[in-house]
Amino acid sequence: MRSMGSSMRRKWEDAVVGLLLLALGMIMITPFLWMISVGFERTANVNAPFPPRLIPYDFSWFNYSLVFENGLMLKAYWNSAVNAFFSVLLSVSSALLGGYAFSRGRFKGKKILFVLVLATMMIPFETTLIPMFIMFNDLHLIDTRYPIILPSLINAMGILLCKQFFDQLPEGLRESAKIDGAGEFKIFFHIFFPLAGPITATLAILSFQGSWNSFVWPLVVINSQDLKTVPLFLSQFSQESGTPLMGVTMATAAVSIIPVMVVFLIMQKYIIQSIALSGLKGE
Amino acid sequence: MTSQGWVWFIFLLPTLLGIGLFTLYPMLESFRLSFTRGAEERYVGFENYQYVLTSGSFRQAIFNTFYIAFFQLLIVIPSGFIIACLIQSLRRGKNFFKILFYIPNITSMVAAATVFLVVLHPQGLLNYALSLFGIPETIWLANPTSARWSVILLASWHALGFGIIINLANLQAISPDYYEAASIDGASRFKQWLYITIPNMLGSITILVILGWIDGLQRFTEAFMLGGHTGSPVRSLYTLVGFIYERGFGGLEYGVASAASYLLLVLILIFTFINIKFFRMKI
Repeated sequence: MRSMGSSMRRKWEDAVVGLLLLALGMIMITPFLWMISVGFERTANVNAPFPPRLIPYDFSWFNYSLVFENGLMLKAYWNSAVNAFFSVLLSVSSALLGGYAFSRGRFKGKKILFVLVLATMMIPFETTLIPMFIMFNDLHLIDTRYPIILPSLINAMGILLCKQFFDQLPEGLRESAKIDGAGEFKIFFHIFFPLAGPITATLAILSFQGSWNSFVWPLVVINSQDLKTVPLFLSQFSQESGTPLMGVTMATAAVSIIPVMVVFLIMQKYIIQSIALSGLKGE
Repeated sequence: MTSQGWVWFIFLLPTLLGIGLFTLYPMLESFRLSFTRGAEERYVGFENYQYVLTSGSFRQAIFNTFYIAFFQLLIVIPSGFIIACLIQSLRRGKNFFKILFYIPNITSMVAAATVFLVVLHPQGLLNYALSLFGIPETIWLANPTSARWSVILLASWHALGFGIIINLANLQAISPDYYEAASIDGASRFKQWLYITIPNMLGSITILVILGWIDGLQRFTEAFMLGGHTGSPVRSLYTLVGFIYERGFGGLEYGVASAASYLLLVLILIFTFINIKFFRMKI
């Protein structure tokens, strides 16, 4: 039982902690808000908006309309969207199938293969970078979408999450179907896959975000302007025009992250859960 | 063991194909290349390793990489833990703060760095904020130490939300019974935090330290965006992966770059091993 005094004190503590967190949180998202706001400042390309302010003095859509004017950003959006679509498709299907096999399958070498899959998470991508480049170059696939999309087949974290998901489902589901003589593929597609909606959504979101934001590998394999993804276009833009054209640059940066932001704000519950899960499962 | 074990290999086919083509083969190939030199891939023994280890620019890259990683973790890990504890102590609004602090992490690194170029601009947000406390103007990207700290700031800003989410998940996993028993015994909230919360958090702190070092050793995008190919000013932002990138794709020295990428792999394995040992001993 709490006395009146201690519950009052608890309330005060909560208020102080809440305000402190709000202040810290505002500091954290200030650069983010400032990016959006400088984009709305008509004169930002000529004069740095100084002193910095969150509400633009001369509000206009000018910079945001410039972002789309020459069509390069739209092209980059299209490229990123196509890459993301196929990457998500590959990585989610490979994780669902693989996770199911490691959960319900009985076959020789299961343990070793599972360890092999998990071990791929430890390997820095840079160790494979140069041979991957040489391999795709020998296949004349540099400067195409293939090198960006195909490696999405590897999704070790996805396999781990899927295995755990399928492990929770009752074994009885399989037994009755087996008695009816259904094959393994039929059992997977007719019984387990329809139940896997939540994990499929989670994996799709994580993989979409990874694909949309990926930078180093596309930087290595894409040269032509026609195939540049959003981060490549943005990095090129910010290094060429950069701070001299502060207004357009900030507007471009803001536009570049709209899809991931929208997905995050709609699906934040799923995303935060799955981040927490993947971090803890790493133990 | 069923007679149809092979069917599971069809489920695993996408994953095994991916690992074979995009991890195992490149790993072996990279190992082989690290002992060769030139387009004709002449065998040179350990020459590349010797060259890399004695080269001044590699040492510079190692120093920068460790410097940035160390201070970034020193900032992010304790503050992520403390902020997570503060959020957990609230009775309402937990979800709001989770989203607020996670937003920087959703922003792609390229977009975040683009914004930071403007934040770090002499007339940018950071100098303005510091001037309110009477601290004189700094040209952040002009001097090696302040340039490194700029990357540390950007990387910390980006990573903090992840640490908070992982810590919160672990905090929520601690049984409320402990706290109840302690408060019946009359322990203050601070004492409960010291004697119950902290000992139960070593698991997630370990995972964050391990993941933090793995990410830190692979740092590239932040430094590349703020300092370009050569990590300006005076190579203060030149990282290990920057070395691999410059030698591999700038100089087409595949052998040297492959040797450096294997050294990176070895460093990551050693660090992960040390971190696991160190934290196990504490537990």
